[in-house]
Amino acid sequence: MEKLKVADLNVLIKYKYETMIKQAEAYKSDFEKHNIFIDIPDSEIERLQGENPHLTLNDVEYIFTGAAFYEELLNFNGFLLHSSGVCVDGYAYLFSADPGTGKSTHTSLWQKYLGADRAHIINDDKPALRIMDGEIFVYGTPWSGKTDQNLNMRMPLGAIVFLEQSKTNFIHPISVQEAIPLILQQTIRPREASAMGKLLDVLDKILSETPVYRLGCDMSREAVELSYNTIRRDEKK
Amino acid sequence: MKIKDGYLLRTVAGSNIVVPVGEGTMDFSGVITLNEVGAFLWRVLENGADKAELLAKLTAEYDVDDATASNDIDAFLKNLKEANLLDE
Repeated sequence: MEKLKVADLNVLIKYKYETMIKQAEAYKSDFEKHNIFIDIPDSEIERLQGENPHLTLNDVEYIFTGAAFYEELLNFNGFLLHSSGVCVDGYAYLFSADPGTGKSTHTSLWQKYLGADRAHIINDDKPALRIMDGEIFVYGTPWSGKTDQNLNMRMPLGAIVFLEQSKTNFIHPISVQEAIPLILQQTIRPREASAMGKLLDVLDKILSETPVYRLGCDMSREAVELSYNTIRRDEKK
Repeated sequence: MKIKDGYLLRTVAGSNIVVPVGEGTMDFSGVITLNEVGAFLWRVLENGADKAELLAKLTAEYDVDDATASNDIDAFLKNLKEANLLDE
């Protein structure tokens, strides 16, 4: 069993394959009491691999340890958002969309135009959001999808942006009513009433304080300038 | 009449949101927004009520005449039935 600290939570977890070993390294920690316990039996990993023959045992361990973590996160005022998270000047901005739309492309353009020393990818696939001491933080986690872009850090949430491809660039804020179904589509939607209640409580806080936008972008420098200048929360220079 | 099992009403950042849970997820996977009166009626219907009770509670809670309240209630019930959310 290994001890990790993820999203300010003590995680006692079993893993043995190469992706987890590599990804978890930056999150290693020490503690007496754990908050989250993840131990998927070998037989279960093998069974899941049998059901998903396109995946290796390594893939299965990586995917399902992540799933277990994010499910537990709901009990600690947190949830995951399928998004590419980029941190600039003290805030994390999350770009969310269905796979293949271009969220990682967009955040990598932020790095290109703002400079990789100024813009960091906190998690390229599923950052954890968590309310801690009344503030909303975005965290890197070991589980960052196909790329291994993640950083063990936390940043206050600046904005959530739902992205779509478009020939012309546009951005506008959207209402709570519009944002909620978009968020539910990009997280693990709880099936069960008490878990859904917890998620909605977290969203209540987040949507009361965080701007949410819809961005249409053509993946050009202009698109980056438009999104950055509209959503940035640091003091304007 | 009663709201079907499998729906959760919560206030999120000032909006009254209904989401399906449990059995409800098999019928519908979106999100419904209710205005203030809708949310009020929904909560009464969660415990079961007939039209008379809805009318009595609505007019007690809000400063509205019986005729307007009755029309509002009928419209709301019609929407619920069309969305298959009501057990009659």
